[in-house]
Formats: sequence, structure tokens, C-alpha cells
Amino acid sequence: MSKIWLPRGHAAERLGLDRRTFLAASAKIGAGAVMSVALPGCDSEGPKSASGLLSAAGRWNERVERALFRHNAMNVAPAGAHAAGVKFPSYFIADEVPVWNDAERGTWRLEIGGMVRQPARLTLADLTRLPRTDLRLEHFCVEGWSAVAVRTGVLLAELAQRAQVSADARYVDFQSFDDDYHESWDIESALHPQTLIVYGQDGRLLDPAFGAPARVYSPVKLGYKCTKYLTRILFLAERNGGYWSDQGYEWYGGV
Amino acid sequence: MGRAAAVFTIMTKTKLRHHLVVRITHWVNALGLAIMIGSGLRIFNSYPAFARKGESFCCYPFEGHKIPSWLTFGGWLAGARHWHFAAMWLLVANGLVYLGFIYLHGEWRDLVPRRHVLGEVAQMVKFYLALRRDHPHQGKHNALQRLAYFSMPIVAIAAVVSGLAIWKPVQFSPLTGLLGGFVWARYWHFLAMLALVALTFGHVFMVFTVDPYSLRSIITGGYDDSKSPELRNARPFVHLRAASATSPAPPAPDTGAPQPQGPASDPPVVDPPPVKDPGGKA
Repeated sequence: MSKIWLPRGHAAERLGLDRRTFLAASAKIGAGAVMSVALPGCDSEGPKSASGLLSAAGRWNERVERALFRHNAMNVAPAGAHAAGVKFPSYFIADEVPVWNDAERGTWRLEIGGMVRQPARLTLADLTRLPRTDLRLEHFCVEGWSAVAVRTGVLLAELAQRAQVSADARYVDFQSFDDDYHESWDIESALHPQTLIVYGQDGRLLDPAFGAPARVYSPVKLGYKCTKYLTRILFLAERNGGYWSDQGYEWYGGV
Repeated sequence: MGRAAAVFTIMTKTKLRHHLVVRITHWVNALGLAIMIGSGLRIFNSYPAFARKGESFCCYPFEGHKIPSWLTFGGWLAGARHWHFAAMWLLVANGLVYLGFIYLHGEWRDLVPRRHVLGEVAQMVKFYLALRRDHPHQGKHNALQRLAYFSMPIVAIAAVVSGLAIWKPVQFSPLTGLLGGFVWARYWHFLAMLALVALTFGHVFMVFTVDPYSLRSIITGGYDDSKSPELRNARPFVHLRAASATSPAPPAPDTGAPQPQGPASDPPVVDPPPVKDPGGKA
């Protein structure tokens, strides 16, 4: 019985309410008042005091996501889905579509370096001579949309094998000539059998709007992790953040 | 009347309706749902549509129209995602504590639909529509409440399952495929949210218009059975005020219709016998 607060005589009882009901109603009115103050604060980022809790939850989520990750979990685009084609959103951070100008900057080459025994600097022709993989994949954007395209390229696992990546490499950084855009990944996702260095989309060489000459693409990562306009792939012992990751989006960005 | 006698009278009328675990999980759920829905709508607003790029979507009339920002929470896409992926653990853990507790402690018996649930629901609806004069006999909850409180965890499970399918459409691709793919999983997740909102609105509306006395029971746990909607013969906005304990005539159940006899249909006891079990349910 001690769980229930014992009432005594109270003015509210004359109104047909006992004290506890009165108390409960007052609490509701109070909560309503708090809400009406809080409402203009909606679409806020929430109380600052929660940021520690949120980052702890973020670290926990990354551990869960990495534990869930399976190399044999595959993306299959639904059979009936239409390819997005030209409706595929184009995206870059520079003011204009980044285009590599051979006359100014010399022949484009993709550098593969960092913790590798056989660094390489591959031209587009070198890439197209390597074993080719075509995958029809559904792409997932952090914003919530998805789009289907056929991706043509070289498995990153293939490039890693040729470069003889050190066993101590745990992370991979994908760098670009789209200003300073880059994103680093965990090596498990980078070596997933659907992670490609893409130079073709929907049967054609990549359009500059979609990241020409080459970009990384994997359905196990959200779009923002898949650096376009590639210049360099570095195998690293430590993670190296990324353009969106450094601004507050999840670094892992797994799907 | 001395204070001791007054306290005694109220003690015997007041029963512990909701266990502390139920009260805590109820309010954690309310907070968690508010965060989940607000942040979910903020995430939705960064692509307020369901169609895959290059396709159209059959079943959402507001493709491309954003949710009003005052209904959203999180400030920006990444902020809303952080809240969404943090509060999901709170809600799931809270839901498991609640379901585990009501299973072990027996409250599930007040919630699972009974054999004649459809008939009982029909009678409650008739009563609320004033097509029936007397309040159907009920236990702790009426048939509509039982149905709503039983549906809530089921809709919540649908929200969790569709949420997992959106969160990990590749790692959980068989699940996402089962729901019809990523686009449809997003749609089911959205519909589950709408169902939760509808249930919540119905619940809050009925609390304030039919049984405001139950507010106390979800805060302190105490509930005065003599003020139950059944004894007040209350439908929305009707017979809100309980008859005072000294009132000569309690709101009488309709005499024209057969009234099942039982302890809960007795008129309020003014001077109760010294009952030793105030925690028992009516």
C-alpha cells in the first residue's frame, strides 16, 4: 500500500477530484506547458547533453554493424526494377562537374599505395585490361532513395591481391580530384565480392557526371562512402575519416 | 471523520492498477516513440517519397511532399539518424522488458483477445455510438482497449522488422526481399509508424474523454474502481465526472438491458467492509 501516495483533505476534492487525480491532472498540464515551450524547438538537434550518449550509441552501432557484416551477404537488384539511367542522381562537391584534363594534369592514373608491397599507378586502359566484373545492383543513398544500375569494373579484392596488401592494413582511404572529397572504409567492406572500382555504368564508360574516369562502388556502403573521381586508393593501419564522416555522418555507413 | 478513518476509506477504494514496471515502461515508450517518430520523419524528409529513381510508386499520394518540419526532430539528416539509431535500442529493450514482465507477472491475461472478442468489440462500439445504453461489463480493460493494447506490440514488431530491412538491405537481404524489397520495406515501416500514431491518438483521446481518472494509475499506480468508466457509464465526453462518495444515487447501469452480475458491476461501496486485499483487480 505504501506504493500509493496517501491523500488528505484537499480543495480539489470539492470539485469531485481527489488529490491524486488533481495531482495527475496538474502533471499533465505541466507536461503540456513544457511541450508548448519545446515545440518551437522541434527539428532541433536535441539537447546538447545528449551528444555523449548519442556518440556512445554510434560507437555501439558500428560494433554491431561490423559484427553483422558477412562477405557472402549479397545485393541483388529486384528483377522487375527499372534501371535509373539518366535519372540516376549526379553528385559531386565541386562547383562544376569535375573533369580530368589530360592536357593540364597529364594522363589520369589511379594510384594504389599505402601498406602494399606492389604499389601501382594504373591508367584507364590498364584498368579495362584487368578481369572485368559486371553487376546489376541496387544503390542505397543515406537520404533514403535507391536506384538500380549495372556497374562495370574491377573487383577491389583483385587489385588488392595484385598490390599484395600487407596483413596489417585494416582501413582503405579512397581519395579524389573532386576538391578534397575522400572517404575511408574498413578493409572488410573494401574486400567484399561486390566492391568494384567502377569505370562503366549501364554498358557505357562512366559519364563525368557519375564519377569518370573511375569511382569506387559497393552496395555494402551508403552512397556517400563511394568516392567518385578517384585518384588514389591507400591501404592504411588507421581509419582516415572522410568528407561526410568528418561532418557528422556515420563513418561506417554500412548497408 | 478522523484522518485515520478517511485514509482507511480511500485506501480500500484505491487499488494498485499498474505495476511500477508497467508505469516506467509506458513512459519510456512514450518518450522513445516521440523521438523515433520525429527523427524518422526528419530522415524521411530528405527523400519524402518511396519511388526508386526512374520509377513511380503506386501507393503514396504525397510523393515528394515534405512532412512539416515542426513534426520532425534531429535538426538535419545525420542528427536525426543518430537519434533514430540510438532510440531504437532504448525502445526495443524497453519493449522486451515490458513484454517479459507482463508475460511473467500475468498482465497479459488482461490484454490478449478473448474468445468472443469481435462481439465484445461490437458491443463497445455500439455503446460509444449511443446505440446501446449501458456500458458492457468489463474487467480491467474494455474490449476495445484490449484490442488496442494487444495490437500495439504487434505493430511495434512490424516496425522493428521493416526497420531492420531498411537498415541492412544487403546484410539482411533475404528479409528485405521477403518484404518486397527496399522500397516496400520503407513503405511498411512508414505504415507501421502511421498505425502507431493512430493507436496513440485514439488512446490519448479516450483517456481524456472517457477515463481521465486512469491518468493517476499510469503515474502513481493508484486507481479508484468506483470511478471506472463502467460504473460511470461513460462514453466520450459523457459522464466524465464520478459521482461523489456521498451521492445518494450512483449513475445506475441501464436497467432495461440484462446486466451481467459480478463484483465489478456492483454500485460503488460507500462504507466498504475492511477488505485486506487492496491490490487485487476488480
